[in-house]
Amino acid sequence: MNLSPNTYEAQQLFSQYCRDGVYKPIPGVNPARMEHYRRLVFNVVRDNLESTFPILFQQTDEDTWLFWVNDFFQHHNCQATQVWKMGEEFYQYALAQDWQTKYQLPHLRDLLLFEWTEMELYNMPDIPYPAVQAQGSWENNHIALNPEHRLLVFNYPVHQHATITETTTREGHYFVVQYREPAEGNILFVEVSAWLAFVLEQLHNGFTLQDIFPYAPALHIEVNELLVHNTISFLQDMRARKLVLGFAAEV
Amino acid sequence: MVGLGFRRDFAEELIEGKLITPDFVEFAPENWMNMGGYWRKMLHKVVDKYPVLCHGLSLSIGSPDDLDMPFLQQVKDFLDEFQVQLYSEHLSYSKCDNAHLYDLLPIPFRKDAVQHIVQRIQTVQDFLQRPIAMEIVSYYTPVAAEMSESAFIRDIVQQSGCKLLLDVNNIYVNAFNHQYDAKQFIQELPLDRVAYIHMAGHEQVSDDLIIDTHGEAIIDPVYDLFDWTIQHIQPVPVLLERDFNIPEMPALQEELSRLKQICAKHWPAKNELVA
Repeated sequence: MNLSPNTYEAQQLFSQYCRDGVYKPIPGVNPARMEHYRRLVFNVVRDNLESTFPILFQQTDEDTWLFWVNDFFQHHNCQATQVWKMGEEFYQYALAQDWQTKYQLPHLRDLLLFEWTEMELYNMPDIPYPAVQAQGSWENNHIALNPEHRLLVFNYPVHQHATITETTTREGHYFVVQYREPAEGNILFVEVSAWLAFVLEQLHNGFTLQDIFPYAPALHIEVNELLVHNTISFLQDMRARKLVLGFAAEV
Repeated sequence: MVGLGFRRDFAEELIEGKLITPDFVEFAPENWMNMGGYWRKMLHKVVDKYPVLCHGLSLSIGSPDDLDMPFLQQVKDFLDEFQVQLYSEHLSYSKCDNAHLYDLLPIPFRKDAVQHIVQRIQTVQDFLQRPIAMEIVSYYTPVAAEMSESAFIRDIVQQSGCKLLLDVNNIYVNAFNHQYDAKQFIQELPLDRVAYIHMAGHEQVSDDLIIDTHGEAIIDPVYDLFDWTIQHIQPVPVLLERDFNIPEMPALQEELSRLKQICAKHWPAKNELVA
């Protein structure tokens, strides 16, 4: 580095002020103008986080929200060169700071994950779709899933867009699949049962329904005609909704 | 050629090409690289229709921190993939103490900063295997300055071999904010190195301060400065930036047309995309 200590320090003081808003004199600087930098920088961060976490933002009172954004930007060194990826760092920071306990928001981890996953799926690079064929046996053929999906497990129904009270009083096990539909790239989600979550996970791993059904008893689920029928109906419905692409093409 | 900064707000109108007809478009690589889905498809449609120039945001050429080489590799891949004809960046810094700030902070106008930046520009140009154009940014306060702004810029351009992106609105804003003569400032620059011009609107927030918002139409005094400026340089691409408060397309087209008229008045020969 060719910078002198004085130049380096001036740049550090300037950038630190933009992060924490605490002005320390910098040679040659007009202090009255500095507030504009702080405002402009902070607005970028705040606007980005508000658009990444719209549900959390809407659920949070203004003072708390501003405190969180300030706390994050002041104490966390943002690493993302692409501003939209800042949301993941905010999510990780909130977990590390245990805001969930500190603010008595037991659903916070789930909500942050749900909203960040939506942003990530929306923007992430395309994943090549597998070759598929329209006809096949639901039980015996390999079923091709839309590869642009995430299977999420929540303790609170954050995906149901309820109030905080409604959400936090319904602790349980919720399985949600989020995916990017191919036509418009919109992010859709569907809540599924534990069984269907297991099925999707195993289909993704390359197993067929015929391989998967024998494991149902281990999940305390009886294998009968109704289970087979409902499982296949679900997959047919998901095919219409572009989570299931079809039957994997024979190699 | 007069182009338009690509925004999602008017992507469909750009692709349709009826209400708005720029000669080229400009992207910020950071807003598009490693991206898939709907906007990847839209990006390809726009690139199929228009020549592309790129204007980066996160290089942070004036940063005390090391250059981010993995990031530069991503930029290079993006420029190569979309056959970008000119890559420009900002003469500012946006990262310090290992933290991105996502805005353009002013660099101290000092000799040691010149040396630091010259070396970094050369590294970037070598890595990207193309010259880059550096933009004179708007700023609201000087920082620990030991030399004039024009000397700072001139030394960097001449020593690094980079091109210059002349943002005429920025120069107008800076001249107003720091009480200097914009034309004299421009005359002090290495005008033979200008490869690209930006034009935009701004917002005056007090009697003595203008903020460079890109959220308003270009005002007449900035058009006048542009008219005067291009008489002193060779033909180069000219870009209209409009990032916020997006108007109806006919209003944007009117701005493009006015810029084209001024260019045609002074640059009768066809101006190539890359100077």
